[in-house]
Amino acid sequence: MRRHRLLNFLATATAMIAGATMVIGLLSDPGSDARTVAALVIQLVAVTGAIAVLLGILNLLSVHLGRFTHAERGWPYSLLVLVVAVGVIVLRILDRAAIWSGDLEGEQLSPRVFEAVQVSVESALAALIVFFLVYAAFRLMRRGVTGWNVLFTVTIVVALVGWIPLEDLDVFAELREWLVRVPVGAGARGILLGVGLGTVTAGVRVLLGQDRSLRD
Amino acid sequence: MNDSALIIVLLTIAFSATLIGAMIARRVAVPLRPIAAYQALPEIAADAVESARRVHVSLGSSAVGEPGTVSALVSGEIAYQLAERMAISPYPPLVTLSQGTTLPLAQDTLRRAYEIRQRAAYFRPTQVAWYPQGPRSLAFAAGASSLAADSDVFTSILLGRFGAELAYFGESAVRHDQILIAHSDQPAGQAIAYAQSDRPLLGEELYAGPAYLTRRPLHIGTVVALDVLRWLVILAILFTALQAAL
Repeated sequence: MRRHRLLNFLATATAMIAGATMVIGLLSDPGSDARTVAALVIQLVAVTGAIAVLLGILNLLSVHLGRFTHAERGWPYSLLVLVVAVGVIVLRILDRAAIWSGDLEGEQLSPRVFEAVQVSVESALAALIVFFLVYAAFRLMRRGVTGWNVLFTVTIVVALVGWIPLEDLDVFAELREWLVRVPVGAGARGILLGVGLGTVTAGVRVLLGQDRSLRD
Repeated sequence: MNDSALIIVLLTIAFSATLIGAMIARRVAVPLRPIAAYQALPEIAADAVESARRVHVSLGSSAVGEPGTVSALVSGEIAYQLAERMAISPYPPLVTLSQGTTLPLAQDTLRRAYEIRQRAAYFRPTQVAWYPQGPRSLAFAAGASSLAADSDVFTSILLGRFGAELAYFGESAVRHDQILIAHSDQPAGQAIAYAQSDRPLLGEELYAGPAYLTRRPLHIGTVVALDVLRWLVILAILFTALQAAL
């Protein structure tokens, strides 16, 4: 228990000092000592981020290995993930060793595989989003016909119709542009302002050392 | 007023309002306006325990060490409150995320929740699943929502940073008859959350979550500070608009 309390104290002190350092650094002139120390803290975060990616890969492999070995529902997909993960790691090692010859000499295959699989799959998934959103608007109206729900649905319809490249529908295109420029722009700014203010107040809690992640 | 002065004023007001709010909350009960999502969360945790089913919490791409740091911390706190209530169940919550730096935070949050309920032996680090982040995280959304469906999840709670990929979680929740509570600190994700979620959280409502779920004076103090700052911003906008008009 005493060890836990000491660790919590150290974690809290580290968070408070790092937070205060960053605030002072951001408020200082460029080139000042405080700004240099803040930059050093950011560099430490970048290094930690790189280690975290490694931890993430280990987590991914352990989650799917567990699902495969316990034959949980969907285990074939986990097996596929494991095989592909190992395959990509091996491919990357072979790329680094520059063992390819013939037409492939000097080529990097792992970025090609990434482009061919990941980018095309993500593009296909992105294309489906519009259907999900239209269905979501339909469900929204089924939940209840309120003023806000009607406004949301009408806006979606105007935005979608506004994309149709027909001369007769120019008015919808203009309306869509106005919607995006004025109400949508204002709403997005409002949300971002709210998020910013929320970040400040929650940040105060962290700076006071009162965040749950710093104590048991 | 330059940027540095503005930051100092903002932080001073936030600190003062938080501490004053916390002092008031220690003496009298401060009423908080009802937010459907936070009213439902304790019931969802209780239902999950009673019906022996799991709850999926996704932190999206909230990343510790990046602009989404505070979103990640607050989402972690809400996940803690759920996990603490559900720690007595043999069906633990499932947490998914797409940022490596948030992974230790999420695992540690669950570990603490299990420890506090003296169920540390039942905690498994694999309750938290990381998915590599793509350009739009669509692969993450597809993988995480599929894992949630396979894990017999009955509620999905999406908190933090999501873009258009939130639509996948929403669609999967509809198909598998899950309750969906969603939030995003990005406008695109927020719009989708509003359309798809049964009980959406809007903008800064995420940051008020710990106050609603723990009722600790300091957390209530941050809600008071949030309201003070919000009114100051509204007044500043009105004042600037009037000044420009006259």
